[in-house]
Amino acid sequence: MNKALRSPAVFLLFTLPALILFVMFFIYPIFSSLYYSFTSWNGVSTHVKWIGLDNYSKALEQKRFWVSVKNNGWFIVFSIFIQVPLIVLFSLLISHVKKLKGLYKTTVFLPSIMSTAVIGILWGFIYEPDIGLLNQILGTFGIKPVYWLSDERYAMLSILITNAWQWTGFYIVMVLAAILSIPGELEEAAAIDGASAFQRATQIVLPLIRPIISVVIMLSIAGAMKAADIVLVMTKGGPAGSTEVMATYMIKYAITNFKYGYGNTIAVLIFIFTVVVTVLYQLLVARRNERIEY
Amino acid sequence: MARTWKKGLPHLFLLLYLVVILFPFLFVIFSSVKTDNNAIALNPFGLPKKLAFDNYAEAWVKAKISTYFFNSLYISILSSVASILFGAMFAFAVTRMRHGRWGAALFGLILVGMLIPNNALMLPIYTLVRKLHILDTHLALIIPYVANAIPFTVIILAAFMRSLPSEIEEAAVMDGLRSGGIFARMIVPLTVPAMVTVFIVNFLGNWNEFLLANYFLSNDDLRTLPVGMVQFRDQYQMNYAQMSAGIVFSVVPVIVIYAVLQEKIIEGVTAGSVKG
Repeated sequence: MNKALRSPAVFLLFTLPALILFVMFFIYPIFSSLYYSFTSWNGVSTHVKWIGLDNYSKALEQKRFWVSVKNNGWFIVFSIFIQVPLIVLFSLLISHVKKLKGLYKTTVFLPSIMSTAVIGILWGFIYEPDIGLLNQILGTFGIKPVYWLSDERYAMLSILITNAWQWTGFYIVMVLAAILSIPGELEEAAAIDGASAFQRATQIVLPLIRPIISVVIMLSIAGAMKAADIVLVMTKGGPAGSTEVMATYMIKYAITNFKYGYGNTIAVLIFIFTVVVTVLYQLLVARRNERIEY
Repeated sequence: MARTWKKGLPHLFLLLYLVVILFPFLFVIFSSVKTDNNAIALNPFGLPKKLAFDNYAEAWVKAKISTYFFNSLYISILSSVASILFGAMFAFAVTRMRHGRWGAALFGLILVGMLIPNNALMLPIYTLVRKLHILDTHLALIIPYVANAIPFTVIILAAFMRSLPSEIEEAAVMDGLRSGGIFARMIVPLTVPAMVTVFIVNFLGNWNEFLLANYFLSNDDLRTLPVGMVQFRDQYQMNYAQMSAGIVFSVVPVIVIYAVLQEKIIEGVTAGSVKG
């Protein structure tokens, strides 16, 4: 009876457009990257020279490359140790209050739908040494102007704060949804047994939202490894390469300096590091979070 | 007394958070109606006595906001619609057509796309786009944007289509409809709610995209809003009042859309990330 839905030709016709695009922009690039990472191609000439693992050993010897790896690491560290506690705290608070819930949720989410480029510009203005918001506020306490983005000591921190400002609310809404989906009877029963609000939060809600916190951390890691536009817009990797991340380092070599082969080596290394960090996290931390059923 | 504290304290923290989120925007709005940097330095936290709206007129012209705005708008809409069309066709084939094993295999392949850190693929995509001779045209953004959104689009639409009852096809086949008709006249109309969610997510992603838009286009008239804004900042960095007006222009449309569609946006964006 369902002859119409069995035709292989029609099946092919329906899947082909998406498949072609997928192969062109996902599968082919992976193998292309891998291939050119073993060459010294400049991206333009017809001559492609195979140089084996030279690019890899060069990258692993470069101090600047390791600075960029370290900065990706800072993104991860900052989100796990600063953002995640704030995310948990604020989502618990929002779920706890009765009034203004909607307002809080809507407002904290707002920065995450905006363009990172525009947020980078906005925060560049806030960090501006002479007239920027931050130094003006600090100035009222008598603190001398700080050169947030051009001082090597503060530049990376300034970027991390901007990044946190943009994304914390996004994760709060995710965690909040998980908290609100916990059946109310659980907390009510605990309240009858005499548990305080704080005890209910730490003893009941927190253990139940561990899986979603794990998701938040996974997403933060993925986001940290991809970070690029915020750095390009705010500091362009400066001052003196101190805020470079792997993706901006890759772009700098491949597109600005015509070292296309070397750039692809960095791309492959980004892949490898992402997989390693994700697997490590899964093995060391996430595995212990078993599925939770109410 | 203790009760009011208990009730008030959470709000105190939360309001503090709101201030941290909203004050930067307020600062930009205040600054956008001041005459120059000096006026911002003298009175950073309030409105000036005389509002200078000419910053808006000048930013609109100098930053070419209108050009960039419409470039961004049509690129984002076109790409989002195209990925939904291709994604829906694919999702229909793998969930509703009777090719179980092939369907599952192809769907699994597309799923892998969600795990790939796409920034790392930028260089080969750049050379691919150059080989297609579309570098420095809008297609250089549209085609990669469409492709990039396919995995997410397929996953959400396939999940939705799978939940539709199978009697639909039976009735349709009885009525003599063929695959194309079943897809266009029965499945697509039923999938519209999921498509709206996917459209919003894709649209926002394309509207905000910076890396490809920055490196794949060099003709100034083709640029999109985020890239145009960064360029405007780099040229007129000294004039913060004007730059603030530019920021307001680029942020307001998003805020307006958000104000209207916030429930749908929050649901869509968070669903997308969890699935990923």
